[in-house]
Amino acid sequence: MAAAALLDVNNVEVVYNRTVQVLRGLSLQVPQGQIVALLGSNGAGKSTLLKAVSNLLALEDGAVTAGSIRFEGRDVAADPPHGLVRRGLFHVMEGRRIFEDLTVEENLTAATFALAGRAGAAADFDMVYEYFPRLRERRRGLAGYLSGGEQQMLAIGRALVARPSLMLLDEPSLGLAPMLVEEIFAIIARINAEQKVSMLLVEQNAAVAFAVAHYGYILETGKVVIDGPVERLMRDQDVREFYLGLGGAGGERSYRDVKHYKRRKRWLS
Amino acid sequence: MTLPELTLPQMLRRNAQTMPSRLALLQKDFGIWQPVTWAEYDRRARHFGLGLLALGLSERGHVGILSENRVEWVVAQLGAGMVGGVAIGVYPTSPANEVAYVLGHSEAEIVVCEDQEQTDKVLERLGELPRLKRIVVVDPKGLRHYESPLIVSFAELLSLGAERDAAAPDAIETRLAAQTLSDLALIVYTSGSTGKPKGAMLSFRNMRAQAAGVIERLGVGAQTTNLSYLPLCHVAEQMLTTMAPIYAGSCVSFGESVRTVQEDLREVAPSLFLGVPRIWEKLHAAIHIKMMEAGGWRRRLFEAGLAACAPFACKPPHERSLRERALFGFYYLTVFRALQNFVGLRKAQVALTGAAPIPPRIVAFFRTIGVPLVEVYGLTETSGMATGQRRDTMRPGAVGEAVAGATAKLGPDGELLVRGEMVFEGYFRHPEASGAVLRDGWLHTGDVAVLEGGQVRIVDRLKDIMITAGGKNLSPSEIENTVKGSAFIKECIVVADGRRYPSALVQIDAETVGKWAEENRIPFTHFRSLAEHPRIRELIEAEIGAANALLAPVAQLKRFHLLTKELDHDDDEVTATMKVRRANIASKYAAEIEALYRPERVPEPA
Repeated sequence: MAAAALLDVNNVEVVYNRTVQVLRGLSLQVPQGQIVALLGSNGAGKSTLLKAVSNLLALEDGAVTAGSIRFEGRDVAADPPHGLVRRGLFHVMEGRRIFEDLTVEENLTAATFALAGRAGAAADFDMVYEYFPRLRERRRGLAGYLSGGEQQMLAIGRALVARPSLMLLDEPSLGLAPMLVEEIFAIIARINAEQKVSMLLVEQNAAVAFAVAHYGYILETGKVVIDGPVERLMRDQDVREFYLGLGGAGGERSYRDVKHYKRRKRWLS
Repeated sequence: MTLPELTLPQMLRRNAQTMPSRLALLQKDFGIWQPVTWAEYDRRARHFGLGLLALGLSERGHVGILSENRVEWVVAQLGAGMVGGVAIGVYPTSPANEVAYVLGHSEAEIVVCEDQEQTDKVLERLGELPRLKRIVVVDPKGLRHYESPLIVSFAELLSLGAERDAAAPDAIETRLAAQTLSDLALIVYTSGSTGKPKGAMLSFRNMRAQAAGVIERLGVGAQTTNLSYLPLCHVAEQMLTTMAPIYAGSCVSFGESVRTVQEDLREVAPSLFLGVPRIWEKLHAAIHIKMMEAGGWRRRLFEAGLAACAPFACKPPHERSLRERALFGFYYLTVFRALQNFVGLRKAQVALTGAAPIPPRIVAFFRTIGVPLVEVYGLTETSGMATGQRRDTMRPGAVGEAVAGATAKLGPDGELLVRGEMVFEGYFRHPEASGAVLRDGWLHTGDVAVLEGGQVRIVDRLKDIMITAGGKNLSPSEIENTVKGSAFIKECIVVADGRRYPSALVQIDAETVGKWAEENRIPFTHFRSLAEHPRIRELIEAEIGAANALLAPVAQLKRFHLLTKELDHDDDEVTATMKVRRANIASKYAAEIEALYRPERVPEPA
């Protein structure tokens, strides 16, 4: 464990409505410059963690009841969500959430809010258009008329405008065609490499997430069950079977062979 | 009281005639408790037995049962018994190779499988089971496209039996009438902590004798209720699910599944409860965690209550002084009642622990909060309980005196010997092993014991007694139990044989240690990261230091190694009943053990 991780989550517990506990003592770290993947099934608590990091839980009557989350060494609870964005922590929410009634460029302009008060930071739409040439073509069009993939590109582009040091990506593959998913993930990897943006990537699609990530955590019912460098996770029996959909032998399996019971997960590490 | 001279199936028949509409079983199904009366129990068992005959079960043929506890388990067992068949239980948690060994060795002709998972295990190993004729599946979900001609559903089997019953209503009566107490009823495979499992043959006479012993010692009657949740292929749960209830006419409940035991327990609130030490340790840890979470004055009240009531925990209520009663009454109302409700044992008139050694601290804890926990001792070979404490003489650390119908004495080397009708008939297909334990009219238990004030106290397994390089005799289980008294330590395996000093492999309790780490803001992700954290090592060191203070100097652990993974049945490290397989562990962790005796490091804990 590196001493100076960009994001350091220490034993966090999150409770919604003061009754429903979602995260139970979760710890993870995002080191500078890396992509960290956070995998898990529905309801495991992945999105909750991201909202806790970007301090958005209060909107859903959730609260961090124990533990701490530190971004660049400073507790995130000390800043309001918009303050965090200005500090360089950008949350690309699940389901894209663009302004549909504004044009593409107006959407990007909106993100320049994050740059206010930052010295030497100028909005660089050209950089966005370089990564996403399709957005340049549609810059004058209404964002609501973009395809799903283009909207996702816009959401990430909007994050780029804010020049974050840490990007939280919540299921960028959601509802997209496989080809588009590949394209977007290739760009995500490029952004990480070229712009030195660290990323915490939440995904259901383990295969694409592992293709770009350096390190991975797997979350089940609010707890980390296994973590490690991606190369090691990809060799793990349980990860292969339950997250990559590969049989023990490595080949893909037929639905005919799917059982009504699950092999017990071991999570040996 | 003397029980009728009837076999278990005959007794079931009689219950169905004398109290047909009384409740015999309860099965929780999708959240609803479904009742089964004695008449219905008898009818289903009868149909099942006749169905087995229809499938071609031979005279005295063997029937394997591979399922979690549920009504169908006992229906299959009693059904097989009604037509002269012999039941063999198999642990549903066993991997396929162990299942195949037990089914193959026991020569099972028909096997009852709970679901697809169990069926797959049998199908995978069909080659090793030449005698197997049919597979009866209780829950056929997912089996529609299976092509094996062996598969038949439990429901189909029952209707086959019902047809036969309608055609010849006297068939069962004739068979039952011909049954005698000497007939073989059940083969219980030992868990196999030292080698291959051995099949202990129990006759109807053994089971009847055991029922009499349980009824006498634990006061089981028609009003008794209990939850059947420990594996039925083990003799302990057999004792409280089939033997005692059928003779006493009491009601047995089957919960939703093994995963819901805690909730089921709260709903049933049984008057009789049997836990193995692992269960008691878990309940203890659960209370411990809740109290850590509660914090503040609630935790202080709990601790004050424990401290105030611990001194008279082992005194039966009627012997307590007025002051003690008042103290207990106060803490009962404020703390203990809620704790008893939390673990579902508020209605328990007697709670048992047996089947393995239990840390004295755990026993003391439950007695302190008012759970009438008694220690019992028994073996598969004694059809269950052989000795047991009475509620009015709860000597800490002892296991009581021989139950009605059994005699116990100490052999020349301190080995406990038992005689009585409950002593088994021998191991199936293993006459040498049978001869080794059944000698001179006594069952040689293999346990070293001492007598203390008329009560038996078990020291250790005869073969487990270790001798250090200094020539000292050590009982590893005494050391292990002292150490396991800590809520943070789940497993401790002592190494000392032929060594200069005792040391141990220690497995932390992931839940309590995890909770502790959270409270102390130590980041961790999974078991390994927890076990390798230096602060956790310090915590365990302190716990072992505390345990060492309770041990004789020669028995104190000088060093320990923290296991970085949990011991697992799938890895051949523990048995289905979570008993440690010492030989396997010694070879698997040989390097870690050697490191404990390498001189360069400073001995620890200080």
